[in-house]
Amino acid sequence: MSEAAAVEVKNLVKDFKGPFRGKKVRAVKDVSLTIAPGEVYGLIGPNGSGKSTTMKAVLGLVAPTSGTCAIFGKNSTKVDSRSEVGFLPENPYFYKHLTAAETVRFYGRLCGMRGRVLKDRIEEMLELVGLQDARDRRLKGFSKGMLQRIGLAQALVQDPRLVVLDEPTAGVDPTGSREIRDLILTLKNRGITVFLCSHLLEQVQEICDRVGIIHQGVLVNEGRLGDLISLEDKTELILQNASPDLMEQIRTLIEVTHGTDLVSEGRARTTLETLFLKETQAKPSGESKVVKVRKSRKRVSK
Amino acid sequence: MSRSTSTSFFSPRRVLIIAQSTVTQLVRMKIFYFLAPVALLFLGLQFFDAIWFEGPEALMPEQELRMHKNICLGTMMLFTSLFAIVATALLIPGDIEDRTLYTILCKPVPRLDYLVGKLFGVIAVLFIAMLVMDVLLVTTLHFRTEDKILQTTEYMTKIGYPEREIAAGRADIAAHGPTMILQFGVISHFLKACVIAAVALLISTFSTSTLFTIATSVMIWIIGSFQSIARDGLFNDATFGEAPGWADKIVGTLISLIFPDFQLFESISDAAARAEDVLYGDMAQLAGLSAVYIGIYVVLSWFVFSDKEF
Ligand SMILES: Nc1ncnc2c1ncn2[C@@H]1O[C@H](COP(=O)(O)OP(=O)(O)OP(=O)(O)O)[C@@H](O)[C@H]1O
Ligand SMILES: [Mg+2]
Repeated sequence: MSEAAAVEVKNLVKDFKGPFRGKKVRAVKDVSLTIAPGEVYGLIGPNGSGKSTTMKAVLGLVAPTSGTCAIFGKNSTKVDSRSEVGFLPENPYFYKHLTAAETVRFYGRLCGMRGRVLKDRIEEMLELVGLQDARDRRLKGFSKGMLQRIGLAQALVQDPRLVVLDEPTAGVDPTGSREIRDLILTLKNRGITVFLCSHLLEQVQEICDRVGIIHQGVLVNEGRLGDLISLEDKTELILQNASPDLMEQIRTLIEVTHGTDLVSEGRARTTLETLFLKETQAKPSGESKVVKVRKSRKRVSK
Repeated sequence: MSRSTSTSFFSPRRVLIIAQSTVTQLVRMKIFYFLAPVALLFLGLQFFDAIWFEGPEALMPEQELRMHKNICLGTMMLFTSLFAIVATALLIPGDIEDRTLYTILCKPVPRLDYLVGKLFGVIAVLFIAMLVMDVLLVTTLHFRTEDKILQTTEYMTKIGYPEREIAAGRADIAAHGPTMILQFGVISHFLKACVIAAVALLISTFSTSTLFTIATSVMIWIIGSFQSIARDGLFNDATFGEAPGWADKIVGTLISLIFPDFQLFESISDAAARAEDVLYGDMAQLAGLSAVYIGIYVVLSWFVFSDKEF
């Protein structure tokens, strides 16, 4: 089946007018990338490297200086291309006077949804992003993370085939960040294409099939995640309950093997994120939990 | 998976959705609270010159009614026009500044739909505000007219006017009451406010700040209200004994294209306040003119807006 690529960016160049006349800022320099349907693609890069600009070009919010962008084969400059895409901009901001439910309803209606279908969809979306409790509260009092969640609900409301997420977890707490990660994985399982950018490399590593690295507007590296991050000449060994004896044996074995060096040795670590999640997962009766953890830690150190 | 994916170039439904949300926004901004002082003014006027026009002036009840109408119509004009400018100037630059627009335009919403929706939303609120003020005007004027008719009838009977003249006097006063012609005056102010809103829409598509939009729109509003006078004075002044040169004519035409000419609006509302005859034809012409102006400004806004980047 020769299906059109979910996102196709060809030789995209984008200039912005500088503060002075004639002086231009080239935000994106000849970027080409293709995202296959069903893929999760992560764009990473330093601040100001052109990630958001590339995304906006894909959505037709900025016009390319040269080159083209297309969504499922439809040119991004045409309104048509936007019917199958949901977008979460960075630092999203919505009408403050609307409630959470009204906001999702507004965007659903803009996508041509109505009636029972829309009503059910609103509830579904609010539940998905965990905002049922805030459903009738106005966005005026929403926190940054809550706005991010409503932004996700809004992006997904018409059940698009492509979701473009500009820093979806910015400002969201670790639990929420984890939920959003799981949500993206759910989307992936349902065959929805995801195009995201993020500064949380750990998360990008966890969820993306393919990654592009952009630096000063140039796509400097791109490929399958596994290929990108595996170090060809290094092997990691994680052991459980290794006795000092065994360790000694391994060390001597390495020593006698020509050409192999022991680069580092130490306890395998859990990430801070995992630790935080473990501590904050069980919300009720948090007090006793803390005590228990302390005890166990003491036992370990003794 | 089969979906309908074609997005029409212009959809009344989407325009309606955006207009609705604009109305909600303005209502929740508590814009209608401004109607309270207007209501107070209209009602206060009722008592105001009942004292003033004691004595011989009481013989000119039309004057008193005319003053009532002038003040009310003037207030309505000022209120709706300023409201049209401020509301439009707040909405679109606001959406751009806080990037709400991103989320709207990345849904299948053509930019024309967005602009027209915003404009219609403002116009709908203008309409409601105008309607409320109109009801107030008609009610207060009704009671006042009845009052005057009663007074005049009493007075004329006392002096001993023949029955026929008394009836004529009553009819004269009634003509200054809440008539259809008065409604024409209200409508012309409403149409003027709609045109002003379209002007503000155009300016807000290329301006970068709310303040600039408001200042420029107010300027155009003032120039538009006086432009025919200015143009006549500048370019067609026969007192110099010279016909206007072609350069003057071009400048004059340009000015009348850039700035809407509100002369027709003003003359109809003036005539309405004076209870002079306003023809249906004039009203039709006024409505047509407004539609043309609004159409031109919307198309221009669209040209500017469709190339805009955020
Ligand atoms: N509207 C604009 N006008 C002028 N310059 C712009 C505009 N938008 C972006 N730029 C410039 O383009 C470059 C890329 O910006 P972009 O927002 O794409 O970066 P980013 O990779 O998303 O950064 P971040 O990680 O901080 O979100 C920056 O140098 C920025 O200053
Ligand atoms: Mg960015």
